[in-house]
Amino acid sequence: MTTASLARQKKGGRHFKHAFFRYLGLTLNIFPPFIYLLLFFYVPMGIMFVMSFWKSGFMTLEPAFTLDNYIRFFTTPIYIRAMINTFVIATGSMVALILVGYPIAYFLARYAPKWENLIIYLLIIPVEINFLVRIFAWKIALGRSGIINSALLNLGIIDEPLKFLLYSKTAVVIVMLHEWLPYVVIPIYLALKGVGPEIIEAARTLGSGKWSVFRHVLLPLSVPGLFASFVLVYIPMLGEFAVPALVGGPSAYMLGNVIESQFLSAGNWGLGSAIGFVLLAVTLVLVAGVIKVAGVEELM
Amino acid sequence: MSNQEIALEIRNVTKRFGSLIAVDDVSFEIERGEFFSLLGPSGSGKTTILRMIGGLLTPDQGHVFLHGKDITFDPPEKRDVNIVFQNYALFPHLNVYENVAFGPRRRHWPDDKIRKEVTHLLEMVHLAGYEEKYPRQLSGGEKQRIALIRALITRPQLLLLDEPLGALDLKIRQSLQLELMDIQDETGITFIYVTHDQSEALTMADRIAVMDKGHILQIGDPKSIYEQPHNRFVAHFIGNTNLLEGKVASVAGGDVRIRTPRLGEFQGRGLDGASVQTGQPVTMSVRPEKMHITRQEPERPGYNKIAGVVEDLIYVGVSTEFIVRVAPGQTLRIFAQNMSRDDDLWQITWDDPVWVYWRPEHSLIITE
Ligand SMILES: Nc1ncnc2c1ncn2[C@@H]1O[C@H](COP(=O)(O)OP(=O)(O)O)[C@@H](O)[C@H]1O
Ligand SMILES: [Mg+2]
Repeated sequence: MTTASLARQKKGGRHFKHAFFRYLGLTLNIFPPFIYLLLFFYVPMGIMFVMSFWKSGFMTLEPAFTLDNYIRFFTTPIYIRAMINTFVIATGSMVALILVGYPIAYFLARYAPKWENLIIYLLIIPVEINFLVRIFAWKIALGRSGIINSALLNLGIIDEPLKFLLYSKTAVVIVMLHEWLPYVVIPIYLALKGVGPEIIEAARTLGSGKWSVFRHVLLPLSVPGLFASFVLVYIPMLGEFAVPALVGGPSAYMLGNVIESQFLSAGNWGLGSAIGFVLLAVTLVLVAGVIKVAGVEELM
Repeated sequence: MSNQEIALEIRNVTKRFGSLIAVDDVSFEIERGEFFSLLGPSGSGKTTILRMIGGLLTPDQGHVFLHGKDITFDPPEKRDVNIVFQNYALFPHLNVYENVAFGPRRRHWPDDKIRKEVTHLLEMVHLAGYEEKYPRQLSGGEKQRIALIRALITRPQLLLLDEPLGALDLKIRQSLQLELMDIQDETGITFIYVTHDQSEALTMADRIAVMDKGHILQIGDPKSIYEQPHNRFVAHFIGNTNLLEGKVASVAGGDVRIRTPRLGEFQGRGLDGASVQTGQPVTMSVRPEKMHITRQEPERPGYNKIAGVVEDLIYVGVSTEFIVRVAPGQTLRIFAQNMSRDDDLWQITWDDPVWVYWRPEHSLIITE
């Protein structure tokens, strides 16, 4: 071995040490949060994943490798019904949220320079109120003798109370709309706000009318905001269980309710885990699909 | 100038923002195919005028005519006028091809026509092969070229350029200046070019309108703006100048003699067509490159001359700039070509007593 190559090797060794300590430092930095996630998220997830393949019944759980839990889920009509409900309600709520939230965001970003802070604050205040209090407030508002029905009755618009207002999918969508609106408005608002006025002016001078500016400039530029809203809102809505339990009634039974009852009342942890992973898998596929369709990779 | 040659007429246009009068009763006309420049310091109202021509603002008073048609209240998309913005304003979600094709698509051009035109224009600005790039992948100069052809592709009757090169460094700016002039020549499109850089306006424009505080002070070709400034502001803003204040001592035709309180008497010439009275306060403007500097008292009959002391000198490549103190607190600037061999220029240094002299023909008498 020549001296030169020896020296090179030594240097390599020093580089290695250097990199090692840097790596160690980095590890120490992310260590506490990582341990936290590991202990309280990934480990339980792993346990649940394993459990979903075990033989499982009422308060029994016995190690095995079987697809029984998954088969049971896909062959039981009320579970399939709950899955369909889940996607109908979450998708319906998402559509309603965008139909209501987009115009609010658009108005805020384009026409309300003096009012935007106030309006955003008003949007956020309800989020600060306890979640259960809000749901119960809705229960009162939507009930047979709630303010909506009484108002409509007193005005003579209807002859008897609207029944679909409470304990229905509509009720769940209405409450979700209220619950998630700020999370839809704010990302879209920020995306629209980021479009400089000169971009819009350039489009105008190049021959775009107001509608065309929206269609060809503002709408495409708000796609990242729409995508952020979707991820922020649609995924938690798929896992929702409190809202359907309190205002949804049996016709709005969602997967979240099934999972909850498997763990808390039916005592079938294996089945509960299996349903949880089905939901997770479908969610991941959906998000991947939306990323592809919206072409958000390009914009991020 | 026959009427159908007028591309644009601005007639008594005023625009206020609250109590501020940004554009004050401005009128001018631009001929078809002209390279017209609006020149003035920042805040003088140039952009405001441009935006009213483009339809992004509506005047409070007055009218805008495009080829004889009153377009004062037409929305921007209905005017055959395009704008090149200082910050490019490219569409970030569209690639270069689609950015350039934006105008044609709104006009429903067939695809093959769009392809042909976009390709042609990209070649013209030396950016062939850039079709698929996104604005964020381009340099400032490249962005501005794309913004330019995006505005040109539909062959508007009028192209408005708002300090289009302002954000670029000197080298790129100079090469783009030449490119822009070529493109304007080739396309024959009428250009209105806004700038606060007098040298840019002098180099590029057929005619210049000098603005200050919402007013147009003077309109003319670069030579007349430079040689015959109508007032102190224009004289000072366009290039450098030495201003000597005094009163008219005597008038003989265009020749005016002024008496200054501290520097003696000088012989100058009045503006073409202007008249001055004896005793009237006036200003004499002399360009630094028209003044000469020497150590011996010059033997040149008829020249204006004055003695002083060199306060400072700055070598700037091909020339030297001298600052000569001619009275306490009063200095003159003189540019001398370094190649000049006619005197002892090289030996002149700080604190030397010198003489400054210049011809009466180069001493413009300004009354405003
Ligand atoms: N939208 C506006 N609101 C209030 N003041 C404005 C507005 N636009 C321009 N101004 C004012 O009008 C004057 C002229 O501005 P501008 O036309 O942009 O000048 P320039 O382009 O010559 O720098 C400036 O004093 C500026 O502050
Ligand atoms: Mg400006």
